[in-house]
Amino acid sequence: MSAYGVDPCEKCEEMMQDYLDRELTEAEMRTAESHLDTCSYCRRRYRFEVSLRRYIRTAASEQMPVELKAKLAALRIELQ
Amino acid sequence: MSEPTSAQTRRLAEEARDRVRFEEEALELSDQVYRVARHLVGSREAAEELVQETYVRAFRSWQQYTPGTNLRAWLLRILTNLNIDRGRRQQRAPQTTSLDEKGDYYLYDKLEEREGGPLDEERVIERLSQDSIVDALAHVPHDFRDVLVLVDIGEFSYADTAQILDIPIGTVMSRLHRARRILKGELAEEVAK
Repeated sequence: MSAYGVDPCEKCEEMMQDYLDRELTEAEMRTAESHLDTCSYCRRRYRFEVSLRRYIRTAASEQMPVELKAKLAALRIELQ
Repeated sequence: MSEPTSAQTRRLAEEARDRVRFEEEALELSDQVYRVARHLVGSREAAEELVQETYVRAFRSWQQYTPGTNLRAWLLRILTNLNIDRGRRQQRAPQTTSLDEKGDYYLYDKLEEREGGPLDEERVIERLSQDSIVDALAHVPHDFRDVLVLVDIGEFSYADTAQILDIPIGTVMSRLHRARRILKGELAEEVAK
């Protein structure tokens, strides 16, 4: 049995979001990485989470309208 | 009126230079500020208005910004405060019991079930349309969405997000985890249609 205790995959699922956010401690990162190295079930889900986050970021990114940019630049002058 | 001394003149010149530098740096960040604003409020028009108000406030109170600190977080703090002040969001405690919340792997498992085997992650994700992502985000309740948008779209750390929203870091983490689960639950419903 690994350092995770009775259910390493359940523990890995719990840590996954913080792992992806790089918010785990060094020791926790190592524990998560060693599990992902050996568990294809969690590794597939990890890769999916990475792709999903990237996709959400891209899909939700909307260009700022050019007119708004011009309005913001004009505020500098108006407020002086 | 007496003539300003050379020290006063120098100070005024320095202040003018600092102000211009602040304004230029703030304007360079406007795309990133808009990207976050767009998903904090319901419509494009409301987002544009909110960003303009943020910059009016920022340009007026530029001297309150400490050079060398995170200007993007400072601007977002103004923006989220204005968003709350203007009552564009409901002032209520986060819902804690009625959300239809699934596990972290729920979306993956749903998609795998549909595919009938292990997923090609990139290929299957591309089946989610841009609109479905935007709609799913809009369905996440405000308190959770604020955190999700700042971390996952604005790319702020937990600590910066806590500071921007003036909430404890533990609250950022718990809301973020729940927000992502809610979002994935919404997307799973979308792909099941």
